[in-house]
Amino acid sequence: MWGFYLQNLLDSLPFFFKGLWVTVQVAGLSLAIGTVCGFMLGIARAGRVRALNFVLAVYVDLIRGTPFLVQIFIVFFILPEWGIQLEAFSSAVLSLSIYGTAYICEIVCGAVQGVPNGQREAAAASGLNWIQQMRYVVVPQALRPILPPLVGQYVLLIKDTAVVSVIGLTDVTRVGWLTVQRIPNGILVFGLVGLLYFSICYPLVWFSNRLEGRLTVEDNTL
Amino acid sequence: MLETFNFRVIWATMPQFLHGLGATAWISLVALVGAMLVGILACVMRLSGRRLLALPAVVFIEVIRSTPLLAQLYFFYFGLPGLGLRFSETQTGIVALSLNSGAYVAEIIRAGVMSIPRGQTEAAAASGLNLYQRLRYIILPQAIGVTIPALLGQMIVLVKDSALLALISVFELTRAGQLMASERFMPAEGFFTTAVFYLLIYFVLKYASGQWQKRLIFRPAGGV
Amino acid sequence: MIRFNKVNKYFGDLHVLQDIDLNIAPSEVAVVCGPSGSGKSTLIRCINRLETIQSGEIFVDDLAVHDRATDLIRLRTEVGFVFQQFNLYPHMTALENVTLAPMKVRKTPPTQARELGLDLLAKVGIHEKADAYPAQLSGGQQQRVAIARGLAMEPQIMLFDEPTSALDPEMINEVLEVMIQLAKDGMTMVVVTHEMGFAREVGHKVVFMDMGQIVETASPDKFFTNAQNERTLLFLSKILSH
Repeated sequence: MWGFYLQNLLDSLPFFFKGLWVTVQVAGLSLAIGTVCGFMLGIARAGRVRALNFVLAVYVDLIRGTPFLVQIFIVFFILPEWGIQLEAFSSAVLSLSIYGTAYICEIVCGAVQGVPNGQREAAAASGLNWIQQMRYVVVPQALRPILPPLVGQYVLLIKDTAVVSVIGLTDVTRVGWLTVQRIPNGILVFGLVGLLYFSICYPLVWFSNRLEGRLTVEDNTL
Repeated sequence: MLETFNFRVIWATMPQFLHGLGATAWISLVALVGAMLVGILACVMRLSGRRLLALPAVVFIEVIRSTPLLAQLYFFYFGLPGLGLRFSETQTGIVALSLNSGAYVAEIIRAGVMSIPRGQTEAAAASGLNLYQRLRYIILPQAIGVTIPALLGQMIVLVKDSALLALISVFELTRAGQLMASERFMPAEGFFTTAVFYLLIYFVLKYASGQWQKRLIFRPAGGV
Repeated sequence: MIRFNKVNKYFGDLHVLQDIDLNIAPSEVAVVCGPSGSGKSTLIRCINRLETIQSGEIFVDDLAVHDRATDLIRLRTEVGFVFQQFNLYPHMTALENVTLAPMKVRKTPPTQARELGLDLLAKVGIHEKADAYPAQLSGGQQQRVAIARGLAMEPQIMLFDEPTSALDPEMINEVLEVMIQLAKDGMTMVVVTHEMGFAREVGHKVVFMDMGQIVETASPDKFFTNAQNERTLLFLSKILSH
């Protein structure tokens, strides 16, 4: 039986690669949008405008406090009730971007606040305006601490794209779900799905581990 | 938007949501215990210094961290029956959640263990404690304390992750909202109510994490 | 040039500046000293509005520092500031630290900014370290770069907040020499420091602060030989005894 299923599965490989391409598109777009918005909001949040801080804090809490599944349901099922019609792909990118922005905003804000205040003061004392202080002095120094958690967050976001399959977008997870109806062997089918995600995510996990300078297995023992 | 919002129906279906809330809390707690066990085991194996133990642990952790929970969930949901294992949906969900969070817990605990000065382990080894005793009496008691905030963070993730169980028709909070959307055609009422309950859990856990962190900060450092 | 008029500042309940009146003329070098926590750092940080004040007036030339409408960028280009902890930008070379503000605020073309930067680094005696990063420089060298950076906008006034306190003793002189040269060139300077040798050599007035108040203002000669206030005497006995 396993041999037969495996043969069948190999025949459906093109279908899986198509799904993977959808996953890559959704992930790429929403990561790009999330990174740009996350940086802008994160830097803004590190500033001292209280009203803005409050609004951003509420936004971040709302996103971090609810499952992404619920968020995508809200975007997909409720926006149309208010007259905003979005197809599955746009809904997926929109909800993932809103979601990713919140997490990236927190990472950026934390790192920017971690730059010693004297740096900003020195820049202010020589006449740089707030944007220049951030652009040339604070943010370049924050990049190094931002990078490891940012790459880690990218991995989490790429994996969260699997959830967009529930609104009917044929990403690689949904391809698996459709295939398992035809080839009733979840181990093989979702083993393949897992392998495809692994091939995208693991290089990033590895890179993130390197960035954090973690020790290798051999180097530390109890 | 609020004028079309049907609070009466929300109130009428409140028992369903509370039932869902209970299920979410219960599933998350059981999965947390499972994740702690998996995490401690994987972490100890990884740090055991023996390749034969460390390698499987590393592979497990990296595979889990590099694949989506939803794919893992489907893997067990559609895969276990083929191996002759008959689990209920809820049991399958708890297994998937425990293994998934277990990999993250392993990394959290490892970070905690690494934060304990090397001299502690050496002193313990010098006084003749074996690996198990070093872990049990020296390392873990210290590591758990500093990792509590991160573990509470993982608990928040776990609660939110448990929403995916709705997709294999486990009745919990998200499922309650989904049913309201599909049976009464009220997605707004259903999913916003669901979201509010999740936020409730989130703020409780966030508060607890903050309190614990304060405790850690204000606890006088040794020797001062 | 700089005028304080009944300036008050609070940090919460703490009254850190109390009814400060102070005048500093062009080309004057004022040395501010006093015990730690006396408000001396806060005083000079108010001059370029790194701190805001709650009441009173501060003027730099014709610029009203206390007025929120005042062009902060213009104020800060007129006033250079040197920090105790240097605060060099660690991701930029010495030269880049100096040229950043001229290029970004004044839009000086890169080649011209580079020339200016090298001139200033030569002036503080570390021309050869232009391409070194702060981490590769000694404390004294870093502080001299910081002074060059402070001078880069060609300010009318230079403020120094304990510029030598974070330095090892053998590096203090190289920084003081740069400051003394600057004073001799006619720069208006306000210097928070306990380096009384510096005060004697180039200072025009010594301002002694304690507990948020200016206790005594005198010429260096008078201050050291003929201080009036007992708090001043106590302070002097402490810093001169070692």
